[in-house]
Amino acid sequence: MARSVWKGPFVDGYLLAKADAARASGRNEIIRIWSRRSTILPQFVGLTFGVYNGHKFLPVQVTENMVGHKFGEFSPTRTFTGHAADRKAKRA
Amino acid sequence: MARIAGVNIPTNKRVTIGLRYIYGIGPTKADEICRQLAIPEAKRVNQLSDEEVLRIRELIDKDYRVEGDLRREVAMNIKRLMDLGCYRGLRHRRGLPVRGQRTHTNARTRKGKAVPIAGKKKVTK
Repeated sequence: MARSVWKGPFVDGYLLAKADAARASGRNEIIRIWSRRSTILPQFVGLTFGVYNGHKFLPVQVTENMVGHKFGEFSPTRTFTGHAADRKAKRA
Repeated sequence: MARIAGVNIPTNKRVTIGLRYIYGIGPTKADEICRQLAIPEAKRVNQLSDEEVLRIRELIDKDYRVEGDLRREVAMNIKRLMDLGCYRGLRHRRGLPVRGQRTHTNARTRKGKAVPIAGKKKVTK
C-alpha cells in the first residue's frame, strides 16, 4: 500500500543536514550514507551520494528523474554472476 | 462494422463488450462510456447509428488514452526506469519479475519458457 500523503516523504533527518553541509562546502565530494530507506528529495538533485550496499559505498549521482525513488534502489545488494552450468556451456 | 479509435472493429456484440476490444478500455471504462452517451446496455454494435459511433469516437479521443498513445506511455515509463539504473530498471533489463516475486521457481511469464541447463550431467542409474 502506498504511503499516506499527509505524512510527506520519508527521509532520515540527518541526510538533510549532510546535504546542506555538502552544498555549503561547495566541493563535490561523495556523501556517505547508510540510509537506503530514505526518499530522494528535490534538494538532493546534483549531489553525489555514496549509498552503502552492505559492502561498499556505491556512488549515485542524483538527477531530477530520481526524485521520489529511494536511495537503496540505486545500490544493488546482490551480485549475480550467473550459473556454473551456463559458464561451462559458454566456454565449451 | 464500426471503426473506433483506429484499427478496432468490434463485431456484433453488445456495445459494452465490443468496446473492450480497444487496448486501454476494459469493463469499467466501457460501461462508463455507454453511461455517458446514454447507450442502452442491450444495444449491439451493428445497431449503432452513424451519429452514435461518431459520438463514441469523439468521447474516446477526448477523454481516454488508448491504443498507440497508451502503449507508448507504458513503454516510456519502463524506459525511464531502465535508463535510471534503479532496481526496477535492472529487473526490466534482465527480463525478471520486477515486484519482488520469487524466481527460484515460477516466474515463467517473465523468464519465458524453461530451458534445460546446458552442460548439466545427467543422473545415471
